[in-house]
Amino acid sequence: MEMSETAASPWFSVDLPPGRAVLGLMGAWRVAQLAEIEAALTGLVLPAGATIDGSALSQIDSAAALVLLRALQHSAMATDAEEFVWTGFSEINARVLDQVRRHLASATPPVAPPRRSALADVGRQTAVLSGLLHGHLNFLGATVAACGGLLVRPRQLRTRELTVQLQQTGLNAIPVVSLVTLLIGVVITYLLGLQAERYGANIFVVDGVGIGATREFAPVIVAIIVAGRSGAAFTAQLGSMRLTEEIDAIRTLGLSAMQVLVLPRVLALMLALPLLVFVGDVMSLLGAMLIAGPMLGVTPAAFLARLREALDISHVLVGLVKAPVFALAIAVIGTRMGMTVGRDTGAVGAATTSTVVQSIVAVILLDAGFAVLMQALEW
Amino acid sequence: MVSAVAAAAPVVDVRDIVTRFGATTVHDGVSFSVGRGTLVGLIGTSGTGKSVLLREMIGLHRPTAGRVTLLGTDIWQAQAAELDAVRRRFGMMFQDGALFSSLTVAQNVAVPLREHTRLAPATVDALVALRLAQAGLPAEAAARRPSELSGGMRKRAAVARAIALEPELLFLDEPTSGLDPITARGFDRLVRSLVDDLGITVLMATHDLDTLLTVVDRVIVLARGRVLADGGVSEVMAVDDEWVQRYFSVRTMTQGDAGHGS
Repeated sequence: MEMSETAASPWFSVDLPPGRAVLGLMGAWRVAQLAEIEAALTGLVLPAGATIDGSALSQIDSAAALVLLRALQHSAMATDAEEFVWTGFSEINARVLDQVRRHLASATPPVAPPRRSALADVGRQTAVLSGLLHGHLNFLGATVAACGGLLVRPRQLRTRELTVQLQQTGLNAIPVVSLVTLLIGVVITYLLGLQAERYGANIFVVDGVGIGATREFAPVIVAIIVAGRSGAAFTAQLGSMRLTEEIDAIRTLGLSAMQVLVLPRVLALMLALPLLVFVGDVMSLLGAMLIAGPMLGVTPAAFLARLREALDISHVLVGLVKAPVFALAIAVIGTRMGMTVGRDTGAVGAATTSTVVQSIVAVILLDAGFAVLMQALEW
Repeated sequence: MVSAVAAAAPVVDVRDIVTRFGATTVHDGVSFSVGRGTLVGLIGTSGTGKSVLLREMIGLHRPTAGRVTLLGTDIWQAQAAELDAVRRRFGMMFQDGALFSSLTVAQNVAVPLREHTRLAPATVDALVALRLAQAGLPAEAAARRPSELSGGMRKRAAVARAIALEPELLFLDEPTSGLDPITARGFDRLVRSLVDDLGITVLMATHDLDTLLTVVDRVIVLARGRVLADGGVSEVMAVDDEWVQRYFSVRTMTQGDAGHGS
């Protein structure tokens, strides 16, 4: 008389006459059906000494064998699979079960890493950040020292790398910088114009845009574009070179990675950024001029005349002086993050993102510092 | 029930593969088949396109012409759903493991299980532990990242991931390259046990003479764009071709030189 304690299932039959329980396995037990098999086995309870009959079992793979053995382990009345009588299994199936039984003894499921509290995370991030700043300062010192070395021994300068970087960071950036600063010029003029129109002070928009663009907007916007463009490129290039051990190869050949990789990029950016800021100045004033006519009735001739009066060269110079400082920050951050990236693919991506964020924050902080400085010096 | 017909049909059937890159012809009519439950070695000098052929067989690179049939499915003619279904039935071990670098070893092995099955997390964990044990990895390796493992352990982790879904077919790309002799022989034993204990059919591209001479059932020799020889190890070793003779005689050559030197 069959008294099954689990629902009828295509995978096995349970026969529980007292003292001689039999679990008959049926069909093909494979990974593809494992979820159903596992569900069917849940709650199965077999007495010790029960027989497991595999004669109707066509195939069992090791994953299914694992699930079976685990279910039997869970079966409350027996603590050890040896307590059961295994019968009727084909040679292959018996071998699979044996192999899994051996591994089960040594196989322990992986332990999940402990979860950290939010406060501990904040602490950890702060420590990481201070380590980062420390490292950047260190690297800046090394770079400046290397530049000093160049002054003493100018022949060490790698002109080929320098010109390649000048082309990539400077020349190739001109189109995007021109476009963005042109549009910035248009936008600022429009904003200032809206207010100036009320008081009939249309012509003074030229003052506002001229001083604002050359002192602040052009340098900062251009620096941010360059941070995203070249800063990220430096980190990605140098980071990938670290992955492929190219930097190690450079060192092993007796060359200085600083001289070959870092200095050309730093110097190129410090030369290129002022030039790009100048391009930005011109293009933003051009954009201003384009919209001043239709919106405010300021003809190009009137615009240029007012500009000559209102825009003192000192404003342009202030903007141009900021540029190499921004460039140094962006280049040092970019190259250092690249040179210190961890040796796996995920780390390069993370480092590149971090470079862009750090560079932009650094540029804004330096700009604020300049504002205070210029205020104090009354320039 | 595995029918007698299905058991006799070849697991891998490659017919008239032609591969051209621009003006260079790498394969010019490569044909062979692999029977169930065998361990086959694919050999050929560097540049004969072993890796390219493997990539064509697993659906990563379309051959210029020819047909690849895996487990009854024509890889290059199948619909996406069919191809997906067959991908769950074979595994691939790439040359340097190709483990996901942002995941731990255990998470790597769990990827196919989580994506293609609906098993409970506890069962997935237990199955991962089983695969790691089957691949010969110590339990401590489970929580490590791939970058923290040695080359040999990375390859074992890659095998563990490749057999996660208990495939019927396994491809290995130069599994013992870069391994010291002891680790390499251990790896050979692992692969042999996969064939013997789990009934997996294995096709491996290899340079390793010791692997060929110890654990492989059949050898396929790829040379000059075609299959030069295809048969048991001793059969292939007896083939009358200069390249094959030199390939297998390297071992005796170096021993002979040592004898002369001493």
